[in-house]
Amino acid sequence: MVTLKTFFDRAREGRLTGIKCGGCGEVAIPPREFCASCHARAWQVVPLAGDGTLVSYTVIRVAPAKHAADAPYAVGVVKLSEGASIFGRILDVPFEKLAVGMPLRFRPIVADAQTSVGFGPIA
Amino acid sequence: MRRVAVLGVGVTKFGKHERTSGELFAEAAVDALADAEISPAKVQALYYGNVVGGETEHQLHTGPQAASILGIPTVPTTRFETACASSHAAFRHAVMEIAAGISDVVLVGGGERVLNVSTAASTEYFAYASDASWEQPLGLTFPGVFALVARAHMAKHGTTEAQMAAVAVKNHKHGVLNPKAQFQKEISLETVLKSPYIADPLKLYDCCPFTDGGAAVVLAAEEVARTRKRAVWVLGTAAASDSMLLGDKKDLSRVMATERAAKAAYTQAGRSPADVDVVELHDCFTIAEIVATEGLGLFEPGAGGIAAEKGWTSLGGKVPVNTSGGLKAKGHPIGATGAAQIAEIVTQLRGEAGPRQVDGATTGVTHTLGGNTATVLVSVFGRE
Repeated sequence: MVTLKTFFDRAREGRLTGIKCGGCGEVAIPPREFCASCHARAWQVVPLAGDGTLVSYTVIRVAPAKHAADAPYAVGVVKLSEGASIFGRILDVPFEKLAVGMPLRFRPIVADAQTSVGFGPIA
Repeated sequence: MRRVAVLGVGVTKFGKHERTSGELFAEAAVDALADAEISPAKVQALYYGNVVGGETEHQLHTGPQAASILGIPTVPTTRFETACASSHAAFRHAVMEIAAGISDVVLVGGGERVLNVSTAASTEYFAYASDASWEQPLGLTFPGVFALVARAHMAKHGTTEAQMAAVAVKNHKHGVLNPKAQFQKEISLETVLKSPYIADPLKLYDCCPFTDGGAAVVLAAEEVARTRKRAVWVLGTAAASDSMLLGDKKDLSRVMATERAAKAAYTQAGRSPADVDVVELHDCFTIAEIVATEGLGLFEPGAGGIAAEKGWTSLGGKVPVNTSGGLKAKGHPIGATGAAQIAEIVTQLRGEAGPRQVDGATTGVTHTLGGNTATVLVSVFGRE
């Protein structure tokens, strides 16, 4: 079973981990006990390449207290090539160049003990 | 199952208060009991909504606290937390307690206080309703969530920022007619469109305010309500959920939980969207109203923005939406919002809404959304 800790430990090293349902083939982001589509519990751990396309995005200008120093910053949902979608910070893309459908690649955001999901340009 | 009616409603003035959430709820509850002509001694349970009391007031266990301030400290009480849908969730469970024959008279309500902390602090506390492992560490905010919905809706349907702005203009216009509203002031389309971005494409005037306030509703079984001429009947009440993570939503341009809850509530009520005369729905952001009018079946997918622009959802339009001013102008004390929406629909169906009355309204709907679109409640009300 891939726990949140396992996922983020691997993400910190640049690897994204998915789980693939043995029942219906759906790819999900862990942790997950039953498949939300077919309710099987037959996961196989699969490495995710980290390439995807931008489904939706925004530039957050009024940030929560903890993130005020970062603002403005872009976030979005990225649909990965394997099928699952994931939310992340979008780095190194000028705000005016952001567009639904643009290709992006995963990169970890590491700040002290906290690892989170980021995406940047492919080239 | 027994039929359940609303006998009384109460709402505080929305805005900034120098009182705790428990005090604000209690003020609304006193009004609701008086409106219902029910003695507090008859209340058998309190179902209570409060969201960020732990953060803004350092107060948990808000159910018994609210009951104690009201003066009914011995009734069983439970605090519900489903983010912004909390007191609508509380309402649904109270209806079930009465329908099941456990109690005859139940009080429902909510209270919230947030204007005692900074905007940065309340923005952070509200964001606790998004995921703490995946979303909060990246600085996701609630305007951010609905900005993603807006961008997806714009990409799929061609919805414009001007259409979203039309929702704000309309709800402010309605709010002028509601003496309890936080903002009783009209705004122009230009004011909305020129306001600064909070989370693109949502601007300051696309967002509802932070609000302190309380609301309460008295529910009773058919045996108690039968002889009451001002009773408004609960025809259906349904809850639905959706995946917690934004990445797991099947289509960001839709709120699937709204569609599921609406279908269930209409089925219970034996009503269809065409029967609906007046609606209070969750316009935490202008795009949220557009998507909710589509999810409730009032307009086709993609037509919600057009409906706002054409005035179909204004007072005097095809189906007036948010006659109270909505969350946008009336205000959004999150734990109290669901109960406050019910209060407005009950007032409309009784024909007591004064200058904002929808003539001849007999069927009304309330819709409350929790946080990141993962919780939605929909209820249908009628005079018969």
